[in-house]
Amino acid sequence: MAMGFLDKLRSKKQAHRVVFIGLDGTPYTFFKRLIDEGRAPNAARLAEQGSLLRMESTWPWVSSVAWSTMMTGVNPARHNIFGFIDRDPATYKQFIPTSRNMQAKTLWEVLSDAGKRVIVVNVPVTYPPRQVNGILVGGFLSPSLEKAVYPPAYASTLQSLGYIVDADPWKARESKDLAIQEVNAALDARIRTLYYLLEREEWDYLHVHIMETDRLHHFLWQQMEEQDPAYAPAFYDFYRRIDDMLGRVADKLDGDTTLLWMSDHGFCTIRREVYVNRWLMDNGWLRLRNVPPDRKKGLDEIDPSSVAYSLDPGRVVIRVRGREKEGSVAPGAEYEALRDEIAAAALELRDPDSGEAIFRHAFKREELYHGPYLEQAADLILAPYDGYDPKGALYKETLTFKGNELVGMHTHDDAMLYVQGRTIPQTRFSVLNVMPTLLNLLEVAPPDQLDGHSLL
Amino acid sequence: MEQKGVTIWFTGMSGAGKTALAIRLEKELRNRSLRVERLDGDIVRQGLTRDLGFSKEDRDMNIERVTFVAKLLTRNGVAVLASFISPYRAARAKVREETRNFVEVFCYAPLETLVERDVKGLYKKALAGEIENFTGVSDPYEEPEKPEVTIDSSTETIEQSLAKILAKLEELGYVPPAEDDSAYTEDEEAEIEARLAALGYL
Repeated sequence: MAMGFLDKLRSKKQAHRVVFIGLDGTPYTFFKRLIDEGRAPNAARLAEQGSLLRMESTWPWVSSVAWSTMMTGVNPARHNIFGFIDRDPATYKQFIPTSRNMQAKTLWEVLSDAGKRVIVVNVPVTYPPRQVNGILVGGFLSPSLEKAVYPPAYASTLQSLGYIVDADPWKARESKDLAIQEVNAALDARIRTLYYLLEREEWDYLHVHIMETDRLHHFLWQQMEEQDPAYAPAFYDFYRRIDDMLGRVADKLDGDTTLLWMSDHGFCTIRREVYVNRWLMDNGWLRLRNVPPDRKKGLDEIDPSSVAYSLDPGRVVIRVRGREKEGSVAPGAEYEALRDEIAAAALELRDPDSGEAIFRHAFKREELYHGPYLEQAADLILAPYDGYDPKGALYKETLTFKGNELVGMHTHDDAMLYVQGRTIPQTRFSVLNVMPTLLNLLEVAPPDQLDGHSLL
Repeated sequence: MEQKGVTIWFTGMSGAGKTALAIRLEKELRNRSLRVERLDGDIVRQGLTRDLGFSKEDRDMNIERVTFVAKLLTRNGVAVLASFISPYRAARAKVREETRNFVEVFCYAPLETLVERDVKGLYKKALAGEIENFTGVSDPYEEPEKPEVTIDSSTETIEQSLAKILAKLEELGYVPPAEDDSAYTEDEEAEIEARLAALGYL
């Protein structure tokens, strides 16, 4: 019997939905190994059903830059987030970039404008929470849960779930056992919240970010790589719980919902931390008013005769006249010559212990970024070889250091993206492609001028 | 806060930075949601006062006509940014009297610096005698005696000069302070920085 008019109305097509899990800092190669070794059976099953791909991160490869790029679909000179720390070049006041500094519309705002209901939890650079059609819980740099939630009333629901904004990193530094305890407690709370939101709330786009992977890696990556019997089992046990969660989430989804997961960068063991400001000082490009500097004075301890300084991680700023406070380097030929000189020297720099090269590339900012906020970017972004972790401390007594507390560092070309139920032919792509892909899945028109395209 | 109209008068010799500062200030005031209009000597002399030259009489008439426009805009709640060499004290005093809400910004740089910069190539011509009545070379510049703001483009960055002007405009109630866009209190910021430091991100 042909469908009557009312029957047709009742059976109108369900709009497509998406669940997106962020696995901060989980390398593609590591996750593939887990699958190949049978340690992640759910991920293995899901990988068969879709595309699990290797993806490039941003430069620099820190979560604030990478997730800001993911959530806006534009490069840093358009969203204005260049690192976890930044400075006003005219005053040298340092600040931590937040969503207030982000100058582009986020995916969840675009979806909200299109009438989609969104739930977004714990993504970096989402504090203070922007207004959305749904729920937004700010990321790990939220000062408190109460301030992190939109709408504010939802904080009480999260409190009843035992939600934790972030694992305590100082406790985690005290001992490896405490680190494991902290990240597991935070992971428990995060997963509990994910299941609650998945099952009990209405959404078209549900995005929950697991930060605990990155935490675990910072404190225990080396122990896992070296198969330390005291800690490697706990590391793999943590990932068993991640795998369980992915399987359980996938099993709860209907046929009109696509599961994706993404990591923003990879990880490797730190061979040496590299103090770029120390290197600049050793070469006469940076001088400090006081040695050691007064930490409270921050960049004001930079002597006006300096021509360059570094911000974490591996960003080199040239003290250009007219832009930088008391800057002396003339724009134009003098700036270019100095920038070339510093870039060349960076590529010549060798690890004093091993004799190996530390930096594989020195990007000029215009090679990486284009847009109205280019002037806020550092002038050079130094790309290290894996294992050399560039740091922005203003003063250190040595060029390099190897510590025991923080043992893992980020890498650029080992992030991952998983898209359920789709074959993606493109083998080389980056974080910039994620937002257009999600908009495509949700059948929402992309805003003008995104910097990437959909992978579908 | 309802916008109180004002005429911000940038005076100084050619190349001292009047126009550059006015453009920069315009951007900042628009960011603070103010209504702004710029009146620039080079542009006005192509239109409203294109019949005038650089004799004293013509310079005075130039300023008189511009004052007429500035007064209209100011009394209708607009921030008028006027950049004119306006070398004569008496003429500037008349603008102050007419517009009532008036902030004089003296844009200074040593003559040697201006000749060296010679951004428009005019000092060279003036020194060669190719241009007559050129302020600083063949015509006088009467420095303001009590400007509300003095900037020195030979020693300050444009941002530093901007900060001085904004501080004065805020003090006089013409411009609301910038929104405090810090997402953290001081204590919160210290705690967040400590968290980032613990993770090795600082």
